Amino acid sequence: MQAFGSGAMTNSIRGIRDADCILITGSNTAEAHPVIGYEVIRATKKGAHLIIIDPRRVPLVDHATLFLQPQPGTDIYVFLAMMHTIVKEGWADQVFIEERTEGFEDLAKVLDTYTPERAALISGVPSEQIVEAARLYALGVRSKGDSVYDDERGHSTILYAMGITQRSNGTDNVISLANLSMLCGQIGKPSTGVNPLRGQSNVQGACDVGCLVNVLPGYQRVNLDEPRRSVAKFWGLEDLPDKPGLTIVEATHAALEGDVRAMYIMGENPMMSDPNTQHVERSLRSLDFLVVQEIFPSDTAFLAHVILPAASSLEKEGTFTNTERRIQRLHAVLPAPGEAWPDWRITAEIASRFDQERETNREPGYWHFDSVADIFDELALVTPIYRGMNYARLEGQGLQWPCPEEDHPGTPILHVGRFSRGRGKFNPIEARDPAEQPDEEYPLILTTGRVLYHYHTGTMTRRSEPLHWREPHGFVEINPNDAEAIDLEDGFAVAIHSRRGQVRTRARITERVPPGTVFLAFHWREAPANVLTQDHTLDPVAKIPEYKVCAVRLENPRQNKK
Amino acid sequence: MSGVSFNEAILELPMVTLTIDGKKIEAPANTHVLQVALKNGIEIPHLCYHPELSVSGGCRLCIVEVEGYSQPVPSCGLACTDGLVITTQGERLYELRKNVLDLFISDHPLDCVICEKAGACLLQEYAYEYGIKETTYTPTISSTLYQDDNPFFIRDHQYCILCGRCVRMCDEIVGVHAIDFAKRGFETNIATPYDGPMIESTCVFCGNCVQVCPTAALMPVSRKDKGREWELDHKTTICGYCGVGCQLEYALKGDEILYAQASPDGPVNGELLCTKGRYGWDFVLSPERLTRPLIRRDLAYELGLTSEPWEQPDTSPLADRQPKIEDYFIPVDWEMALDLVASRLAATVNEHDPDSVVGLASARCTNEENYLFQKFIRAGIGTNNVDHCARL
Repeated sequence: MQAFGSGAMTNSIRGIRDADCILITGSNTAEAHPVIGYEVIRATKKGAHLIIIDPRRVPLVDHATLFLQPQPGTDIYVFLAMMHTIVKEGWADQVFIEERTEGFEDLAKVLDTYTPERAALISGVPSEQIVEAARLYALGVRSKGDSVYDDERGHSTILYAMGITQRSNGTDNVISLANLSMLCGQIGKPSTGVNPLRGQSNVQGACDVGCLVNVLPGYQRVNLDEPRRSVAKFWGLEDLPDKPGLTIVEATHAALEGDVRAMYIMGENPMMSDPNTQHVERSLRSLDFLVVQEIFPSDTAFLAHVILPAASSLEKEGTFTNTERRIQRLHAVLPAPGEAWPDWRITAEIASRFDQERETNREPGYWHFDSVADIFDELALVTPIYRGMNYARLEGQGLQWPCPEEDHPGTPILHVGRFSRGRGKFNPIEARDPAEQPDEEYPLILTTGRVLYHYHTGTMTRRSEPLHWREPHGFVEINPNDAEAIDLEDGFAVAIHSRRGQVRTRARITERVPPGTVFLAFHWREAPANVLTQDHTLDPVAKIPEYKVCAVRLENPRQNKK
Repeated sequence: MSGVSFNEAILELPMVTLTIDGKKIEAPANTHVLQVALKNGIEIPHLCYHPELSVSGGCRLCIVEVEGYSQPVPSCGLACTDGLVITTQGERLYELRKNVLDLFISDHPLDCVICEKAGACLLQEYAYEYGIKETTYTPTISSTLYQDDNPFFIRDHQYCILCGRCVRMCDEIVGVHAIDFAKRGFETNIATPYDGPMIESTCVFCGNCVQVCPTAALMPVSRKDKGREWELDHKTTICGYCGVGCQLEYALKGDEILYAQASPDGPVNGELLCTKGRYGWDFVLSPERLTRPLIRRDLAYELGLTSEPWEQPDTSPLADRQPKIEDYFIPVDWEMALDLVASRLAATVNEHDPDSVVGLASARCTNEENYLFQKFIRAGIGTNNVDHCARL
């Protein structure tokens, strides 16, 4: 966002198949976003080079030309060393840098000391691999076949996900990838760009429409008077609060301090998804009032005072915005069970009753909407990037934002010809190390994520019979070396301890993880990964917890008995 | 926002002009005749060809006459060149195609009367079109293998016509190559390595093979014995799992989902889905779904809704293998639940301040729901304490 002026996938999913070189980092694409994985595989079959930078040997490595396996938390050194090499070898796109960007000199100065040799020493990735990755990416080199583009250099694209962002230096990582793309002119063209793969059906939309503490719908900052007052006016108010609110993790801390007394949770399960579960539970229990709107009795719902039954995505109308900024319409396939209601209807009812309780006078029907189409048409008026859309226009293929006017066709590629903020800005970044380092007591690094057959906190997929059949139990991936050290056999129980707590699950002994690293997905309520993760050091800008690096110790319960 | 509209699909390629059935057609130079004909609404029968997959040329059904060639050639592998003149229909082509279909039918059960794929089976469609009631050859079923070794799909080899779509899908797009042609000649079948169970192969159960299978050889388990194609309604929506935004088409009989598939019109996924999207929808039918508003027993007692006192246990719900919701909560009607929520939130704001309330919206709810939610938190409650799990 700082680099380009907006935070979303810059390019479209369908363009990936035509890329000449694909760089994937911090994304287990084939398991977490399989359909994007298919695009990547298509591209490689046609001759694109695939570079994967990941501490884990994710399944797409089978299709990769280069697999760079840095120690968890050290990838920033690899990104910086790639840029160092690109500048040094003259692979940078000078024309693009001069015409489209600013701040290159500041970046070049910082890059000076980040040699591939230094990165190799810290990350464990051989320096030759870093140099080769830099060359393939910068020049958009193919392994075979002709490019569909006849530009001087091939088109390279970057895909990343939470492996990059769920870190105490996550913002730095993202900025570094943005720097890398601008350095090589690999942005603002088809099959290029910097592309965050978002993990939930409407996480992009929830951000777009203002479910963030510091921005109103359309990323209008709450602390800027002009846009805030204009939204307020639209909502029939003088003004709106200008102080950014508390993020989820901050809110749980504030609850324990007595500053937060009530929570209204709609379709979220912080007991499973938030770091440091024991802290989250203490925090939720300390509330005077907790209401949870859900489709299942989640572990969060069990702590609520009131649970409101909601309709699932198969049972409602409305829109989702996908990771490539495409707004598409849902259609109800089934009726909602029992007395469950769509979430919008519940919120509207609570809002109007809340006004009555507070004796707030508004125009009649302020919270009344006949249909989701009415709500969408209002949100489009308040949200500048959606302004040219209306509910009827979205039928069929949907539209990609920004779509500022009614006759605007939508925007498949961002930053064509010009960045949202004008010139793209190189932000010089120095490498920082993860907040929690392994030590004698906790010698291993735990990294969390997903498996193919389950989704997020498992409330839905673990209730699906075929998916349950394929992946019925939680497991932790352990490298054979680390397993041998505690005499652990595949499939047997193992305890994982961190400074926050401990969980017990089955061991899956595999070379997918390097020695010193273990992987546990966060789907399993019988082995909740976030009991272990830390919430003390967040990314200073994005406030994202460091799920991907936390120090742990393994214990073989059978070894203790022997 | 500066993004200029640009369609990534339209790339400048050299164009050629060819004639198909007397119609002059412009096409990009690297395309094939069948592909171009289908795009221009000219139907040529085909079984092994699929627009998402590489050309196989195995079924021989898409043969066409080419001006200057003595023999018909398969149009799927015929590159478009300038001045090419193609005829797609004619007596010779009709007879040749009919014979190809006759051969397929000789190794395919003609039990369409009980087959669930009937109505969506390509072989059936072409047999009808070419008037084939039965084979003129000796009917022999080459493989009667029936493999139902997983809860995702059934492999019923008697219906398999060895078009190889599934094999190419698995290799070229899914990239796992779990299946391939095994054995030789009449014995050939599609198999995992050593024909072991699916779960022992590299299969990821995405079901994209099922999606492209033209016959009943690959069928979803969920639709078995539940109805035939023409009895089903199809409803299209967007998948609720990850952020890719795949379009999903549910096939329903009444209010029962029989299976899900991709619809070719999906702007993101086309005919492709993953295992969660295609098979992971049955959670909606779970008996654990919440169907009534609930109030926790201690609060219900306090409000006089129950005479049984109750105390919230200190142990974490996570410590309980299968906590039962009815042990903790009692059902109430919507009126009571909504009034209680509104009054408690209002009381919190009155006694403390708007910033003592926090709203967590959802990355799995719609734009409309999230918009309304943050509007309530901001314009109703009066705080910016609204977040969701974007970071988690």
